[in-house]
Amino acid sequence: MLVKRSNNRLDILAIVVLLVVVSLVTRLGYLQVVKGEYYGSLADGNRIRLIPVMAPRGLFYDRNGILVVSNRPGFTVSLLPITGPVPDEVIHKLAGILNIQPNDIYAKVNQQNGSFEPIRVKSDVGPDIVTKIEERKNELPGVVIEIQPIRSYVNNELAAHIFGYVSEINEAELEKLKPEGYKAGDVIGKFGLEKVYDKALRGKDGGGQVEVDVTGRPVQILGKKEPLPGNNLVLTIDYRIQKAAELAIDEQLKYLQTKTEYVNAKAAAVVVMNPKTGEILAMVSRPAFNPNLFSGGISTKDWKALNENPNHPMDNKVISGEYPPGSTFKIITGVAALELGKVTPEEKILDTGKHWIIPKGNAMGEALGLINFQEALSKSDNVYFYEMGNRLGIDNLEKYARMFGLGTTTGIKLPGEMEGLVANRRYKEKVYEEDWYLSETFDAAIGQGFQLATPLQMALVMGEIANGGYRYRPYLVSKLTAPNGTVLQTFGPEETGRIKISEKTLKLVRDSLREVAAEGGTAGEVFANFPIAIAGKTGTAENPHGSDHGWFVCYGPFEDPSIVVAVIVEQGGFGSSSAVPIAKKILEAAFNINQTSNIDTGAKVYKPQTAL
Amino acid sequence: MLNRRLLKNLDFTLIFTVIAIIATSLVIIGSATHINTPSEERYWYVQRQGIFALINCVLIFIMLHFDYRSLSRYANLFYILNLIMLLAVMFVGQSALGAQRWIQIGPISLQPSEFSKLIMIVSLASLLDKRAGRLNSLKEVIPVFLYVGIPFLLVMKQPDLGTALVFLAILFGMIYVAGINTRVLMMIFGAGLAFLPIFWHFLKDYQKMRLTVFIDPNVDPLGSGYHIIQSKIAIGSGMLFGKGLFGGTQSQLNFLPENHTDFIFAVVGEELGFVGAALILILYFILLYRGIKIAGIARDNFGTLLATGITSMLTFHVLVNVGMTAGIMPVTGIPLPLMSYGVSALTTNLISIGILLNIYMRRQKILF
Repeated sequence: MLVKRSNNRLDILAIVVLLVVVSLVTRLGYLQVVKGEYYGSLADGNRIRLIPVMAPRGLFYDRNGILVVSNRPGFTVSLLPITGPVPDEVIHKLAGILNIQPNDIYAKVNQQNGSFEPIRVKSDVGPDIVTKIEERKNELPGVVIEIQPIRSYVNNELAAHIFGYVSEINEAELEKLKPEGYKAGDVIGKFGLEKVYDKALRGKDGGGQVEVDVTGRPVQILGKKEPLPGNNLVLTIDYRIQKAAELAIDEQLKYLQTKTEYVNAKAAAVVVMNPKTGEILAMVSRPAFNPNLFSGGISTKDWKALNENPNHPMDNKVISGEYPPGSTFKIITGVAALELGKVTPEEKILDTGKHWIIPKGNAMGEALGLINFQEALSKSDNVYFYEMGNRLGIDNLEKYARMFGLGTTTGIKLPGEMEGLVANRRYKEKVYEEDWYLSETFDAAIGQGFQLATPLQMALVMGEIANGGYRYRPYLVSKLTAPNGTVLQTFGPEETGRIKISEKTLKLVRDSLREVAAEGGTAGEVFANFPIAIAGKTGTAENPHGSDHGWFVCYGPFEDPSIVVAVIVEQGGFGSSSAVPIAKKILEAAFNINQTSNIDTGAKVYKPQTAL
Repeated sequence: MLNRRLLKNLDFTLIFTVIAIIATSLVIIGSATHINTPSEERYWYVQRQGIFALINCVLIFIMLHFDYRSLSRYANLFYILNLIMLLAVMFVGQSALGAQRWIQIGPISLQPSEFSKLIMIVSLASLLDKRAGRLNSLKEVIPVFLYVGIPFLLVMKQPDLGTALVFLAILFGMIYVAGINTRVLMMIFGAGLAFLPIFWHFLKDYQKMRLTVFIDPNVDPLGSGYHIIQSKIAIGSGMLFGKGLFGGTQSQLNFLPENHTDFIFAVVGEELGFVGAALILILYFILLYRGIKIAGIARDNFGTLLATGITSMLTFHVLVNVGMTAGIMPVTGIPLPLMSYGVSALTTNLISIGILLNIYMRRQKILF
């Protein structure tokens, strides 16, 4: 008897086989048809990576089209996690190659938690590191090398305080800027124009859709979106003047430190401005820093060196340095006294070397005898101006100082501008809880005591004398242009204040300032035989922490002023010997005097705007 | 000599189905392996599998000259040889993936457990043939279970859970068709369930992990669960029409491991889509259905039982392998018959097909 005939069990077996096949087909239908889209996207998630391509930042040009800030290609080491977190072993190996702590890498990984984009571990690595990583590719799955534009400051320290610097966004900044589309790993402007115009400069990152295999190695490019470069800035800066100013300061500081008693003359600031518009032609602060150090991530050693320098290289002293204006303030005291009729141009006051109410006198105990306004201002007589302070009173002094724009920011579009301080009763009452003393009025009248001003503020004061009382917002950017050159936005003069000074007073003050730079004036010696008529005022500000600060603020040409220069040399001693020589060299460059022309041939000579 | 009339009696449906599956297999193996091999060795796997398929076809043709019934005579010898072979693996075998399964003979690595399945079928068919119609009590049934139990334990010891389970599938399929009393069968099932916790205890840690992961692949997505997750992604992302040959991103970019052996069906699913995968399963259904048909028209009990054993084995392989790649069966290392790359399994399966052809060819009792 055959088993098959005794039962129908083979039929049941056939049904089992059918059930097996049907259930498998059903399962496949569920996976492939019902959930197909879902698994399709998971497969794409496995193989497709978005690799952002950083947009090059906009370029900076000087007013004559000379490129001053640019970009260069650099290698960046990134992590591209594929099927899960990058293994600890890989992170430790990579840390060894890059010579950094594994924890630094973990911190970056955590910052970018959950994203499929590359985690930038170290930017701008050298070719040796690129070679090492390429050689050990198989041991380092998920480690990729990208080429990214690195910010390049063509002339290193030149105009560093204007340009600022860029570096990777930190956590606090990311928190704040996230709503505006900034993301982890972004390079942002942290200082100077880079910071102020960051949004215009940064452009739009592009990206590549790259197919990767299981080790994260790119297999092919699926799609590419080219990055959009940022917009460019055309600056008001004149590269020639800027360079001359930097050189002049460096030479002068070196001279003061090595050839004079002023060995601590290590810091200085210069600003050059067009008084008719507020355009900044040059701006220098010393000591300086090299912004290129930050572009690829600054080393701890470099950062420490910058931070621990007692002269604060990271400060832009033109706008954040608050100094007693010293004798340069006598311009304000003088205008106030003339305008309020506290003195006539003809009245002569006897300088016996000391004032008769409070025995304060001139430096070195000089006595100039009977002098009128012009003699007093051009020779910077303290006793005369103590008397002006005495006649005006502190409230009038304060009023005029504020009318000239002291005690408030100039509104320049740079981060970190300080207000300075105008000596006044309320301040003293508030801070010292004491009444005002006449001796403090005396100090205030010659720019000492409580008075504090930034070099830029003093440049504006001089500008108001030069242009008849107009105060313009100082500016550094004249045009914002698209990468193809089209002008997107133009920036022009913006009046921020006006002081009414009678023609008579203006003429007298200007003539007096002209005398300063003429034979016999405090700056006369340096400007002897200078082909262009210059008007200016020296100042020597007392410094309780060391040697006096030397000031010189001037404008020229005297008849039709196109340039204002303000110079301060910290602990440089007399303004006439420390600051004036710097200003002279700058004016020589600006007016193309005695130029050997071997620096930067092709650069155009600065031609002042005659607009307005 | 092989009778011309016998040749006319070949099961051509079965032959064409097998050829279709093997042809597909060679294409898919080519697709799964070509990206990771240096260009001069690009088609090494395909060539090797193809050559062994041809050798086996010649072997089958020669074997068709001999009546399958003569196998019955050597059943006990086969059984002993099987035990010796399985013992040999334990002593001279080579390890792979945590299990001792391989014996190296010259250039060929053999997997004795593959062959042992077929040998098991032959010797069990002979045993059940003698007891057919008498399997009404435990007394009659228990010796059969012991007969299978010894090689089963040897395979478990390797450890090769997959093959051990195949033994059980063969045993139950054959003993059921041999007419085991339903009540006795239920008792044995009950006893089996009761022993399950003890069975669990004997599993290796990695086997336990595989079974745990089967319940929830996400407990260990980069370890044991990785295969299941990536395989499901591969199949699912193939959608209706697939990504095309050589176009499967999961397989071509190495997200899917073992893609030419145990997980070959995931490549089918990804590159040929639901349509292609379902067609392949229909081919398997035809193959298995022919197996049952042959069992039904065999001239004797031995033939019926042989065909049943072979069909049970193949059915279980298809179910567990495809189910594994589709995430409804645990990962046990059972290849897909005639599809997965592997010389031992291919040889076993083709000889099994040869036996089916042999049984079908000799179905008539009297040949004039």
